[in-house]
Amino acid sequence: MKEHSRAEEAFGKALRSLAAMTPMLLAVISLVGLFQAFVSPEMLRALFSGSPLVDTLIGTVIGGISIGQPVISYIIGGELLGQGISLYAVTAFILAWVTLGIIQLPLEASLFGRRFTIVRNLLSFVFAMLIGVATALTLQGLS
Amino acid sequence: MKQKTPKKPKCNGCVLLAVTLLLYGAAALFAPEKTLLAAEESFGILVKILPILLVVFFLTALLNTFLKPKSIAKHLGKGSRLRGWFIALFGGILSHGPGYVWYPMLADLRAQGARDGLIVAFFYARAIKLPWLPVMISYFGIGFTLVLSFYILLGAWLQGIIADKILAKHEE
Repeated sequence: MKEHSRAEEAFGKALRSLAAMTPMLLAVISLVGLFQAFVSPEMLRALFSGSPLVDTLIGTVIGGISIGQPVISYIIGGELLGQGISLYAVTAFILAWVTLGIIQLPLEASLFGRRFTIVRNLLSFVFAMLIGVATALTLQGLS
Repeated sequence: MKQKTPKKPKCNGCVLLAVTLLLYGAAALFAPEKTLLAAEESFGILVKILPILLVVFFLTALLNTFLKPKSIAKHLGKGSRLRGWFIALFGGILSHGPGYVWYPMLADLRAQGARDGLIVAFFYARAIKLPWLPVMISYFGIGFTLVLSFYILLGAWLQGIIADKILAKHEE
């Protein structure tokens, strides 16, 4: 009986929390749709400069503001490599695509608090670049 | 004696939703076809994440029913050591769908005592996308995929440790 009322309370709480985040969730999904329709892979490609270090930073920033299925970042990343963009930059771009999310920031901050959100995203930003460089250097060392 | 004024119900996302709708309105004026495409994309995403959202909803409710704060603190709280990292890293790898779908469940676990560092590690470990690994291998090779996956796990763990230090310091 006690378990039953605990379950009822838990489902009620989960439903309330889902209902509370619904407007924010709908806003995020709508923004993702806008981004996918208005920002093409060609527009993203045009933003790289040609310098490996600067491109790593650019890759992280572009990956961070981009959104969509991870597979899209692999396709764009593959094309960037083919066009001579460094592996540092491409790896950072792929990583930032899945670990950073400027569009989701308001939703994340509303549920986890501003401080947690800033710390997590700053760490993800720095680590996208570090891992990009570490992966490229390791592969160079192994080959 | 001061009387407490009743709290207004919060709607965190209502402003953002209104701004987004305004953006759609403005976009529709200049590029109606692309705006329609954006709306279709968004609807497609919503349909795709609904089952995952449902799973997360049930998981949240089940965790709240059967896991007591004491046991969350034991597995994911301050006292959790290797087991906590293991749960966070592998939970992150296995979790499916976009990250924001997992927000309510993780926020709930955090409110019940799960460590910030473990939540951060969970989020970063999600960069290893099991269903998409074959595609990554086909584009970048198996060596790249293995090295990157190793660094993602290492990075997730390190970020968790750093986040624990920074966020715990602030709480003191």
